[in-house]
Amino acid sequence: MELFERNAYELSDMLKNKEISSVELTKSVFERINSVEDKVNAYVTLNEENALKTAEQIDEKRANGESLSALAGIPIGIKDNISTKGLRTTCSSRMLENYVPPFNATVMNKLEDAGVVVTGKLNMDEFAMGSSTETSYFKPTCNPHALDRIPGGSSGGSAAAVAACEAVVSLGSDTGGSIRQPASYCGVVGLKPTYGAVSRFGLVAFASSLDQIGPIGKCVKDVAMVQSAINGRDNMDATSACREYTDLSANLKADVKGLRIGLPKEYFGEGIDNEVKTSVLNAVKELEKQGAVVKEISLPSTDYALSAYYIISSAEASSNLARFDGVRYGYRTENYDSLIDMYEKTRSEGFGDEVKRRIMLGTFVLSSGFYDAYYGKAKLLQRRISEEFNSAFKDIDVIAAPTVPTTAFKIGENIGDPLKMYATDICTVTVNIAGLPAVSVPCGNDSNKLPVGLQLIGNKFTEQALLNTAYAYEKTAGGFIMPKL
Amino acid sequence: MNIDIKHIAKLSRLRIEDDKIQEFETQMQNIVNMVEKLPDIEDELVLDEDNPMILREDVAVTDKYTRQELMSNAPQVKAGCLVVPKTVE
Repeated sequence: MELFERNAYELSDMLKNKEISSVELTKSVFERINSVEDKVNAYVTLNEENALKTAEQIDEKRANGESLSALAGIPIGIKDNISTKGLRTTCSSRMLENYVPPFNATVMNKLEDAGVVVTGKLNMDEFAMGSSTETSYFKPTCNPHALDRIPGGSSGGSAAAVAACEAVVSLGSDTGGSIRQPASYCGVVGLKPTYGAVSRFGLVAFASSLDQIGPIGKCVKDVAMVQSAINGRDNMDATSACREYTDLSANLKADVKGLRIGLPKEYFGEGIDNEVKTSVLNAVKELEKQGAVVKEISLPSTDYALSAYYIISSAEASSNLARFDGVRYGYRTENYDSLIDMYEKTRSEGFGDEVKRRIMLGTFVLSSGFYDAYYGKAKLLQRRISEEFNSAFKDIDVIAAPTVPTTAFKIGENIGDPLKMYATDICTVTVNIAGLPAVSVPCGNDSNKLPVGLQLIGNKFTEQALLNTAYAYEKTAGGFIMPKL
Repeated sequence: MNIDIKHIAKLSRLRIEDDKIQEFETQMQNIVNMVEKLPDIEDELVLDEDNPMILREDVAVTDKYTRQELMSNAPQVKAGCLVVPKTVE
């Protein structure tokens, strides 16, 4: 087995026992990138030189007997909307094509302290707006399991890179499903943490009340390791929660005896592909075999969640993206005859169509005369959705559902129809609306050999229970399947 | 609900090319028709008092970044200032 194929926790032990060096491991990952990246297109920017430098430094520290974290020397890819000091951060947009952040996101400071090796910046839908990575200004990313299909989005590069073993683990961000949905399509594990568990400082904002950074890995344990390295209170993000966190990876237990699992009937109805439904229900049966207790539940407002999500997220996006005006950073148009002319040309040339649609939708729902009918109603529905989850969690511990209604679709299949694209988020948006944690873990394939994901949703700050459940399933029935590339 | 795409684009500081207006208008119309389907909830929005945001102390930080670092991404800089078109006649 090649080094690039291995899981982070195995590599961590091998590094610790000095069976391998971080330089060897990093070289192995870059060899893999060199051999498959032109097929997958997961990266926007590669960071080979600096990665090898960091790997050398970590090896030196280890040789000197310094105490190092479990992630020290592990190659990790970063979604291109997370600010990396000195390393181009484009959000896959023309607007930020040449933007080099003068500061690190808090998660990057934490990962640098942990000694990770950053392989590069990963492709995404422009400003994280999309579900297929096709709205990237630079290029579409391909699904490593079927190169003519999308990897999902918006963290499509992050999921595809891990699935193609072009990074051992990666960071993504999830506003309406952007970690879980591509993880499901690419057959890897993706965790969307509780809102407030991970600092958003340095994450280029899309919808600030919904955005959350989280890890993607080939297995549950890897995801637990990375999550424990990035969570925690941060003074630079006023919405980050003040609480102590335990080590998710050290406390990982494949034990679901007595765990109460709820199956929300609204997540298994119309529009959910039969093969996806069967795979997810089989995974739940497996957990039942191991001692979990399964019962049907109802979350009646799920049908309205997509509307509430697109109103709230677009409203926040229209405000957040007002900063891109061609003055302080980013693209500026060449010819203009006034300030307003410069703003309008800069933004029209710098943003792609999907970003423009979201900005305009957000502007519309917030505009005078329409605010109460759209934004006000959506915020009230948001509270109702949260209340329905709260009431469900009185009788159950974990909710099981599909991550996505179907498996990965073909590149180009839905790009011309925004509504069809938005509908792929139907199973994931409620989690962001309610600020809950959720994980997607591979649970088999459909008849086209495309991966299916089981989504597990928990109450706030129950990441350990979610990961334990995912781990219990993974150990007996699931696990990463290497794509043939 | 009829969408006036030119007006919304203007409010958004965007300019939509004439040959794309129809396409954007149809798409926006469909999106708005979708998001319109929301139930009437007889209630009022209240602040979440159980989870107040905790703000850091308001202290001036003077030595974290140089002016040059902060301006390194600006499209046009002159004498340490951001250059913009004339705004006052």
